[in-house]
Amino acid sequence: MKSYVVAALLAVGLGYNLLAVTPRIANWRLPGDNQDYEPIQPIAYSHRLHAGEMQIPCLYCHFAAEKSRHAGIPPANVCMNCHKSVTATLGAVRAEDEAATAENRRPRRVMSAELTKLYTALGLDDQLAPAAGAHPSPVRWVQVHRLPDFVYFDHRPHVAAGVTCQTCHGPIETMERVRQTTSLSMGWCVNCHRTVNQTGVAGRRVNASTDCSTCHY
Amino acid sequence: MANESPRRYWRSLEERAPDDAFREAAADEFPPAPEQTATLFGRRGFLQAAGFTLAGAVSAGCQRAPVRYALPFANEPETVTPGRSLWYASTCSACEAGCGVLVKVRDGRPIKIEGNPEHPLSRGGVCAAGQAAVLGLYDSQRFTGPRRGGADATWEQVDADVLARLAAIRASGGAVRVLSQTITSPALQAAIDRFLTGFADGRHVVYDALSASGVLDAHARTHGRRVLPRYALERASVLVGIDADFLGTWVSPVEFTRGYREARSLEGDPPRCSYHVQFEGRLSLTGTKADLRVRILPEDEPRVIEQLVARVAAKAGVAFEARGGAPAVDGAVLDDLAARLWAARGESLVMAGTPDLAAQVLVNYLNQLLGNYGHTIDLERPSRQRRGEDAAIERLAGELRAGSVAALVVLRANPVYELPAVHEFATLVPRAGLVVSLAQAPDETSALAAIVCPDHHALESWGDAEPVDGLAAVVQPAIRPLANTRAAIETFARWSGQDATALDLVRAHWQQAVFQRSGAGEGFDAFWDRVVHDGFTVLGAPSGQPAAFSDGAVTPLPASERQGDGFALVLHPTTALLDGRHAHNPWLQELPDPITKITWDNVAALAPAAAERLGVTSGDLVEIASPDGSGQPPLVLPVHVQPGQHEGVLAVALGYGRAGTERFADIGPRWLDAQPGVGPNGRVGVNLAPWLITRGGLVHASARRVTISRLPGRYELATTQHHHSINEPRSVSSAGARPLVVETSLSLLRSSADQELAPHPRYESWWPDDHPTGGPRWGMVVDLSACTGCSACVVACQAENNIPVVGRDEVRRQREMHWMRIDRYFTDAADDVDVVHQPMLCQHCANASCESVCPVLATVHSSEGLNEQVYNRCVGTRYCANNCAYKVRRFNWFNYAHPSERENLVLNPDVTVRTRGVMEKCSFCVQRIHEARTEARRRNVPLADGDVQPACGQSCPARAITFGDLNDPKSRVATLARSQRFFRVLEELDLRTSVGYLSVVRNREATSPEAHHG
Repeated sequence: MKSYVVAALLAVGLGYNLLAVTPRIANWRLPGDNQDYEPIQPIAYSHRLHAGEMQIPCLYCHFAAEKSRHAGIPPANVCMNCHKSVTATLGAVRAEDEAATAENRRPRRVMSAELTKLYTALGLDDQLAPAAGAHPSPVRWVQVHRLPDFVYFDHRPHVAAGVTCQTCHGPIETMERVRQTTSLSMGWCVNCHRTVNQTGVAGRRVNASTDCSTCHY
Repeated sequence: MANESPRRYWRSLEERAPDDAFREAAADEFPPAPEQTATLFGRRGFLQAAGFTLAGAVSAGCQRAPVRYALPFANEPETVTPGRSLWYASTCSACEAGCGVLVKVRDGRPIKIEGNPEHPLSRGGVCAAGQAAVLGLYDSQRFTGPRRGGADATWEQVDADVLARLAAIRASGGAVRVLSQTITSPALQAAIDRFLTGFADGRHVVYDALSASGVLDAHARTHGRRVLPRYALERASVLVGIDADFLGTWVSPVEFTRGYREARSLEGDPPRCSYHVQFEGRLSLTGTKADLRVRILPEDEPRVIEQLVARVAAKAGVAFEARGGAPAVDGAVLDDLAARLWAARGESLVMAGTPDLAAQVLVNYLNQLLGNYGHTIDLERPSRQRRGEDAAIERLAGELRAGSVAALVVLRANPVYELPAVHEFATLVPRAGLVVSLAQAPDETSALAAIVCPDHHALESWGDAEPVDGLAAVVQPAIRPLANTRAAIETFARWSGQDATALDLVRAHWQQAVFQRSGAGEGFDAFWDRVVHDGFTVLGAPSGQPAAFSDGAVTPLPASERQGDGFALVLHPTTALLDGRHAHNPWLQELPDPITKITWDNVAALAPAAAERLGVTSGDLVEIASPDGSGQPPLVLPVHVQPGQHEGVLAVALGYGRAGTERFADIGPRWLDAQPGVGPNGRVGVNLAPWLITRGGLVHASARRVTISRLPGRYELATTQHHHSINEPRSVSSAGARPLVVETSLSLLRSSADQELAPHPRYESWWPDDHPTGGPRWGMVVDLSACTGCSACVVACQAENNIPVVGRDEVRRQREMHWMRIDRYFTDAADDVDVVHQPMLCQHCANASCESVCPVLATVHSSEGLNEQVYNRCVGTRYCANNCAYKVRRFNWFNYAHPSERENLVLNPDVTVRTRGVMEKCSFCVQRIHEARTEARRRNVPLADGDVQPACGQSCPARAITFGDLNDPKSRVATLARSQRFFRVLEELDLRTSVGYLSVVRNREATSPEAHHG
């Protein structure tokens, strides 16, 4: 009598587990594979707008990619090269201009909600002057592309060889929010290293090493 | 074949003895665990726990990676790029030698100290202690702020307190004493002097724990200037050291090593090789390199000097009568040496470490007779690395005893710990009206101070140094102060009524006092910027002319009796801890002593004959006592039997037994079977400084007689002596020991030009070359003639490659993690031993035995000849280590990563921190190869020879390590690999190593008696 109950319970449990697991089997992936990771960022920065529409070169902001292992997330003062002048969308500025003309007053400085977060991080007030009592503090961006600690990736040789940013980071100029489009797994890296040794990069011959110690040391 | 009859090389007396059991045991790289004292875990229990852990780990692993944040600067400084290292030129602070260093700063934190190749003193070298100084920066036990009466205080409080007390002293005309070791910083010295001029009776008392007071006093007598001369070893072709460990610990070892190396550059054009004779009682690092080593008792040192003077004076036609008696040295040896010295007039050099004033005056006379002043000895630009006066300590002790010192300020000194017991500083210091300590970390003296005003670490502070007259250098900060400390120079300025930063004070001093001497045509700002960039500047005219030698000062030694029974106690510093100032540095505590190979302890070193007489062996406990019962209470030390030592000498290292080393009780991994990492006294080693004695106002480190009696019980020393032995057990090879070292004499080398000393066996292989290298093939050549065994490379490797400290208990279990070890071999020579230092690291074999046995391909060969270890693939079978012929692989038995975030700041972000269960080994600093190549590619220039330097080679004071591309026939390393001195270790195994060695060459005649032995 008792064993029937136990067996029935086990069967129910097993069935439930199968039901729960089945949909995940299809998109099973290796642990650590973060492909399609697309976290929400503290500031809704758009690569589509900056890199796509405005055609700002990647290395303008990610200038460290040329000279450091890390491409680096640009410090906030780099944003200020433009955003000390551009504080809101053109539409918002025009609307304020029209409103000011209609009300016969000087137009006020308009600040978009997202850019206000940047100014706050830099400790600036609504006139973009250092605010009393405020200290600049870094923006807490969520890291999207991340390799394990035992992998040493270096941007420098890739930039020097002429590998485009999109090769690894995908069509970044079309992304509203950054998404990891590739698996960044070892097989993916090695495949490319093998291929470019045959095909070259941007018409030039390259020597992409497949030694273990190229990345692991 | 040009080499001599094969000599047998052994690492210890047990290895020399025809005892098979020992050699079988030593061949076991992973010895069985010692008998378990507690059986908390049986096999089944372990498997159950392991199964549970595995299940837990699997379930814990089934989740997404945690969210990580990336925080850029808000306002990025112009010069800083995350991930890119900055290098700052500075001056080393680990001792007074003042070597030039480059501090590597990564993302705002100093992580590595390397030599500044342009610095005229050190010329790219840094010693082990200097490189380990970066770890001291992150020491969690440094003072975090000022203290008053044993409690934390603010700077305002302590300053108000001190200033009020000083005002009262100024009014009453009380005595103010600043007590320090030699200060090489001119700006700090000026600040102290300015502070003291404010008092009617203010004086700066300077001493040196590792004193050269005798040399200075002798020059005061003979030349009228109390200075330490600068010795130019590179100009000396005959060199005599009398108990002066100038390659190890004496005054300025890096500078001397470099000079010594230059005078013995066999691959130079023309080849040079100086002749070096060392007289000493213990076996010192310098003694191991000597061409002729004469073992004498400390009491014979003055007699040897006098006998040499008498012989040289006879050749010079000057009357001199020796009265001190004959030393126990073969007269023929002295005759020959005197003849060689005389033949090399003006190119010889005699250096003595003995504190005896009369003997030091005779040394000066000897050098004067030989015409060495102005050639190998520079008095116009003397050294400032030692300026202390032993007699000043005696005077200060008298004043303290009389209670006449109103205020005592102690900085960069620890008198309570390091001075002889006769001075009673432990009881005398509290007798001063006000005791202020400027120590960086708690020590024996700061414990007695009412007020502690902690100084910055040198890597946090502006400063300067003038280690040698006319060579001015800056110390620049590489990080903001980690705690609420204040530079000593600021503290003194504040007490002199001046509020200024250390930078302003140093700069102002340079503008007033240094700039004029430079004779620079530029303005001061440009001059200063240049000096800060270069790290040093050479000033124009010398500060003073030396007086002529006054013969009147020279008198023969007083006749003296031979001392009675017992052992002569020789107290000596070690290359790692020096006078004890580095006793809190775990890298240095775990660095095997170059001679004894002992870590984490000091020992009673006895000659084999003496040990036999006493019936003791290494590890037995003995009691050391003064025979007449005077002096110190007896103390207990473990015995270490040291070949090469004089039979009548008991040698013990100073610098151990520091208060606060109790912290190392649990330094290693905590596990069931862990044993404390400290000795029975709760500390690391025993302090012998109280056993120093003073005679004629000078501190003598080796003038005491002691008796030794055996105690029951043994003590297991953490010695790496037999670890990773590459000799094979006799059961495998009937031929006996392998020829691990090739050694020859200078005369044979010269007579056999272009002939290989060790003809390389050629093997035909059935297989095609497995690993052809199209591009570079990285390789290394180590010159064993140049290597002094100083172990700077070991610490350099540790700092560069994040090598953990495992603690004394784990070293005992043969689990030390150093990727680079220095095998120290003895070999019999006449009645003495010869010593060879052989740095041993992964040989990066092209035909590697480790690669073929790895079941998971975690160790494979790269296209550039590197033997790679892939940590993330390694499953820890340890097959590779067992199969490695050179025993250079290290297994992580634990997670050694330090839990303290602060102490982890020293880690190099370019190298993985390995976890438990992973094998690791030398990578040829592959991260540096990548860095150099990437930078070359980025700048679109080819990689030049010398662009890649591994950490060990970069800071080698002797330039013994050459690294480069073996496929480039013009590279330095390929040139050396074609040298007649080139050989590979265990070449008969045909492993085709990428590391080779240059044979040891001793400046001897092939027919000398030593050559016949072995």
